[in-house]
Amino acid sequence: MIEEEALVLDLKSKSKQAHAFEVLVNTYKERLYWQIRSIVLNHQDADDVLQNTFIKVYKNINGFKGESKLFSWMYRIATNEALNFIKKRAKLQGVSDTDYQDKLVSNLEADVYFEGDEIQLQLQKAIATLPEKQKLVFNMKYFQELKYEEISEILDTSVGGLKASYHLAVKKLEQYLKED
Amino acid sequence: MNKNKNNPFKTPEGYFDSFEDKLMDKLSKPESVIPKDSAFKVPDNYFESFNDTLKGKLENEPKVIPLFPIKKIIAVAASIAAIVLIALNYNWNTPSELTFSDLANTDIEAYFENNDFELSPYEIAEVLPVTNTEYSDILNSPLESDHLLDYLNENVSDFDELNIDYNE
Repeated sequence: MIEEEALVLDLKSKSKQAHAFEVLVNTYKERLYWQIRSIVLNHQDADDVLQNTFIKVYKNINGFKGESKLFSWMYRIATNEALNFIKKRAKLQGVSDTDYQDKLVSNLEADVYFEGDEIQLQLQKAIATLPEKQKLVFNMKYFQELKYEEISEILDTSVGGLKASYHLAVKKLEQYLKED
Repeated sequence: MNKNKNNPFKTPEGYFDSFEDKLMDKLSKPESVIPKDSAFKVPDNYFESFNDTLKGKLENEPKVIPLFPIKKIIAVAASIAAIVLIALNYNWNTPSELTFSDLANTDIEAYFENNDFELSPYEIAEVLPVTNTEYSDILNSPLESDHLLDYLNENVSDFDELNIDYNE
């Protein structure tokens, strides 16, 4: 793990900024990518959102006060960027967020970067039916294997609340998969 | 359980303190029905080449650079004109404060649409005054009196329950 405080200082210093930013991108690009991908589902959109996330981080690093961890702060930016991306796209197409997400899931069948079998496709369809918070918590815990304490800081929700959300999500997904 | 002083059974230290966490962990433990692999893939070398792509994008980010000095002159002239206009208007027009009615309905709708308040219908019902709301504000098609009578006929057994105020 990188020394976070030192990295933040370097990011704010003009002479060390370029190198520090490269370290930051190398450290977090994969983790942030999978967070974004779990929301926007297709690779091309995930790539766009990931780039925008780092651009936002780069432009706003001076405003980072260190009240939360750098990692949580970036995760929050990535999550918000991805959710806003979905909302904007849905609006552009004149459909509801839910309809747009259903469309994203049905597009997975033809997606060359989705190599899932029938069960994995069903799982994505099931995840799409969850409320936003449960969807986020499930993806972060189950696929990205983040700790509850980390998710708590990113989503600004209590650990108890997250455990309950996760438990509910798992129950709903199991029921969906068993019924289908 | 009754707490008997002579109860010979003991629990490990801190057992009850950590019980809830252990239980919740167990409850939230994934079962085999859900596949562990999400099946999402990325193009070959995507992460390796990402830094270069990002660098290119950052360099191409638009920057505001003054192109011609004439623009500066126009800007200065415009500022002076604006200051003069404000100074002239100052005594005649007192600036009015922005009120709620100045907000366009579309802005308010857009605000509610874009912000997730996580309010349940019951919570919304608590905030919205029923007296000021017409049925026509909510329903797209007008309520036919025949339908209304049918509904009451089917769903209300005791008409006294309706508490209708008769004017007579």
